[in-house]
Amino acid sequence: MLTSASMRRRLPVSLGVLGVLIAILCLAGVVVALLALRAGLDDKDGGNRIVYGLTLNPSGFDPHIHISNELGIPFYSIYDTLIYRHPQTMDFVPGLAERWEMAPDGLSWTFALRRDVTFHDGTPFNAQAVAANLDRITNPELASGKALALLGPYTGYTVVDDFTITLHLSEPYAPLLDGLSQVYLGMASPAALREYSKNTYQWHQVGTGPYRLEEIVPGDRIILRRNPEYAWGPVFYAEATDQSVDTVEFRFYTDPATRSLALESDAVQMIGELLPTDVELLLGNTQLRVLRVPIPGLPQQFFFNTKRAPTDELAVRQALLYATNRTEIVDAVFQGQSPVAHGPLTATTPFYDPAVEALYPFDPTFAQSLLLGAGYGDSDNDGIWDRDGEPLRLTMIFPSWNQTPEVAQLIQSEWRDIGIEVELIRVPDFPTLRSYALEGDFHLIAFYDFGVEASLLNQFYMTGGANNWSGFSDSELDGWLHEAVRQVDAGTRAALYSSVQQRIMEQAVVLPIREYVNLNGTTARLDGVIFSAQGWWPLLRNLQLRP
Amino acid sequence: MANGWRRGRLRAALALLAAAIALAVLAPWLATHDPRRAVPEEQFQPPSATHYFGTDLLGRDVFSRTLYGGGRTLGVALLTVLIALGPGLAIGIAAGYGGRWLDAGLMMLMDALLAFPSLILALALIALLGSGTVQVALAVGIAGIPSYARVTRAAVIQARSLPFVEAARALGAGPRAILWRHIVPTAAPSLLAFAGVTLSWALLNGAALMFLGYGGDIAAPEWGVMLADGRAAFRNAPWVALAPGSALSVTVLAINLLAGGLAEHPADG
Repeated sequence: MLTSASMRRRLPVSLGVLGVLIAILCLAGVVVALLALRAGLDDKDGGNRIVYGLTLNPSGFDPHIHISNELGIPFYSIYDTLIYRHPQTMDFVPGLAERWEMAPDGLSWTFALRRDVTFHDGTPFNAQAVAANLDRITNPELASGKALALLGPYTGYTVVDDFTITLHLSEPYAPLLDGLSQVYLGMASPAALREYSKNTYQWHQVGTGPYRLEEIVPGDRIILRRNPEYAWGPVFYAEATDQSVDTVEFRFYTDPATRSLALESDAVQMIGELLPTDVELLLGNTQLRVLRVPIPGLPQQFFFNTKRAPTDELAVRQALLYATNRTEIVDAVFQGQSPVAHGPLTATTPFYDPAVEALYPFDPTFAQSLLLGAGYGDSDNDGIWDRDGEPLRLTMIFPSWNQTPEVAQLIQSEWRDIGIEVELIRVPDFPTLRSYALEGDFHLIAFYDFGVEASLLNQFYMTGGANNWSGFSDSELDGWLHEAVRQVDAGTRAALYSSVQQRIMEQAVVLPIREYVNLNGTTARLDGVIFSAQGWWPLLRNLQLRP
Repeated sequence: MANGWRRGRLRAALALLAAAIALAVLAPWLATHDPRRAVPEEQFQPPSATHYFGTDLLGRDVFSRTLYGGGRTLGVALLTVLIALGPGLAIGIAAGYGGRWLDAGLMMLMDALLAFPSLILALALIALLGSGTVQVALAVGIAGIPSYARVTRAAVIQARSLPFVEAARALGAGPRAILWRHIVPTAAPSLLAFAGVTLSWALLNGAALMFLGYGGDIAAPEWGVMLADGRAAFRNAPWVALAPGSALSVTVLAINLLAGGLAEHPADG
C-alpha cells in the first residue's frame, strides 16, 4: 500500500487503541484454546485416524458427473463397482457382480449380483439398484462427464430377476468391463439418489464401500469413517484388523512445495504428487516412506498440430522428436523418478508395444539433416534456421502443473541449439488450454489422460475424436482403433494396438516425454499402501496403522 | 552530527541504487553465462568460482540471471511509475487547483478506486489486459494512479494557501503563472519523495505479478519469476531464490532510504 513518508513521525499510539488491541488478543487466545480443545476431543473418539493430503480441490465430487482423477482418492472407498481390476494382475475380478457373461454376438452382457450387500443407509443392493444408477448416469440432464462415456455403445438394460441384470449394446464393446471397474460407475444408493437432487447428492454420497462419507466441508476437508458391516469386498481387499484405519480425514495441499513439509511435520500421514526434487530429502528420513506409483494411460506429452505449418510436415515433426533429449528432461526435471516415455501409451498399460522404444533416439545431427531435407537452413546466419525467409519458430502451449513449464523451458533450450526457436505460453487452467486447442493457435500443446484401457487412444487419435487436438487423420488408423474395441480376444486386440502405436509414432503425431508416476509419501507407521489398477486411487481398506 | 549521519545514509542509498541500475544496464558485459541456456548436468550447483550464485533446476547460471533480471524488473518498475505519474499528476493538479465540483467529482472517483487494495486492482486489470511484461506495468501503474492523484492534490492545496502564493495572487498574477511558478515548485519535493516511495512499491507489485506468472515469457530472467522458480527448490538450492530475493530487497531498501532522505532534506538531494 502507499504510505506517505511523513506518516512515520506520528508515533504515539493512544492508550485507548492499545486497550482495544489487548482485548482483541485476549479474545483470539480464548478462540484458539477452544479450537485446540475441540480438536483434542475429536482425536479421542476417532480410533485409528490418518490425515490424507489431496493435491487439488476438484470442481465437483460426484463420480457419476465429474471427471477428476482426484475425486476417486476418497470415493473409490465409498463405492463398490460391479467388477474390479486386480491391482497387480490387471485381471477382472468379481465386485458387486459375482459372475458375468457376454452373449455370443457381443451385444449384451449379463451380470449375476451378490445377494448379501447393503448400502450405508440400509437400502438393500439388487438389480433395481443397478438400474437406478444406470438411469441416472444416462439421463441427459445429469450431463455426465465421464461415466456415460465409459458405457460406450450402451443402449439399455433388462432386469432379469432381483439379482440379475443384462446390459445391451448397439455393437460389441470390449472396454465395457474396464469402465464398470472405475469409480465413475460406482453403485450409489437409490434411496439417496431419490432424496437429493443432482447437484446436492455429491455432499451426501451413499455407497456400499468399505468407508462411509461422514462429512464434506467444501475446500476444507472430507471425512470418511470405516463401514463395520463391510464383508463383500473383492479378493484383494484385506480383512479388517484392529490396526485398520477407522477415520480418514482428507485435507487439501494444492501448493506442491508444501506437501513434503506437511508429511515431515506429521500434519498428514499420506499424500500424493510430491515434488520430484523433494524425494531425496524424504528418503533420508526413516520415519517416512516414498512410493512411486506408475499411472497407466497416456504419458506426459505434447501433441503436434498437424494442421498448421510447419508441423503439418512429417519431416519437421520427426526432426523435433530426434531433437528432444528425453533422458535429460526426465533426469533434470523429474530427478529420474519417472521412466522416459516413447509412445502414445505408457509401459504399464495393457497392450503397450515396446517396439516404439527404438524409434526416436536423441540425435540432433540427424534432426538437422531432416530439416535440411525439408528445405531449412540458416541462410541469414542468426542461429535460427529458416526457409523462404520464414524463420523456424514454433509456439508451445502448456499448463502450469506437473512441472510442464520446466519441461518446456528445457525443450526450448535444447531445440535452440539446433536452430529452432520456441515461444512458450503457459496457461493458468484447462479451459484456456482447450480454447488454444480449438482455435488451432499452436504447434505443440501439452495434453494427456489416464486409464488402463488402451481404447483411451480413440478420442485422442481418431478422425474427429473429442480430444483429437493434433487434427491428425488416418483412415487406416481409424479402422484399427474402431476394430480394437469390437474385439474381445486379447491377442487380436494386442495386434491391433501394436499397429496403432507404431503408426502414431511413425507419423510423429505426439512428442512423449515421461511416463506418469505419482510420488506418494506416507509415514513409516502406515502399512498396506496399495493403489487400484488405475494407479490413482488408494485401497483405504488395506491400510494398517501401527501405533 | 545527526545531519552528517543523515547525509551519509542518503549517499549510501544513492550509491546502492546507482549500483543496482549500473549492474542491470551492464548485464550483457558482466554476465558470465547465457541467462537462458539450460545445462541440466549442472543442476543445483552451489555458489562457486564458475557460478558465483550457483545454478537452478535447469542448470542455468543464477548470477547471470540475476543481472539480466534486474534490467527487466527495474525497467518494469520505471515504466509503472511513469504510467502512474502522468495521469496521477494531471488529475491531482486539476482537482487541487480546479473548481470545487471538479475536485469533488475526481476525488470521488479516485476514492472509489482506492477502496480496492492496489494489488487486487492490478490483478483484476491483468485479467482484462492479459499477461505480458508491458501489461504488468500497465496494470500496476493504473492501480497506482489514485494514490498519486490524492497526494498531488494535497500538495497543491497546501501550496495554494501559502502566504507568498496569496501575495502573488494579490499582485495580479494569472492562475497559470501561479500554478507553474509557485505551486508546482513548492509541491515538487514532496511529490518527488512520493515518486520514490512509489518506485519501490512498483518494484514489489510488479515482481509480485511476475511471481504469480503474469509476466509472459517464462524463461526470461526476472526477479519475481526467479523467486517463483526458486521457491519450489528452496530446500535443495536456497541460492536460487536468495539471489533475486536479496537483490529485490536491497534495491527497495535503497529507494526507500533515498525517498525518506529527500523528504526530510530536499536541498541535499
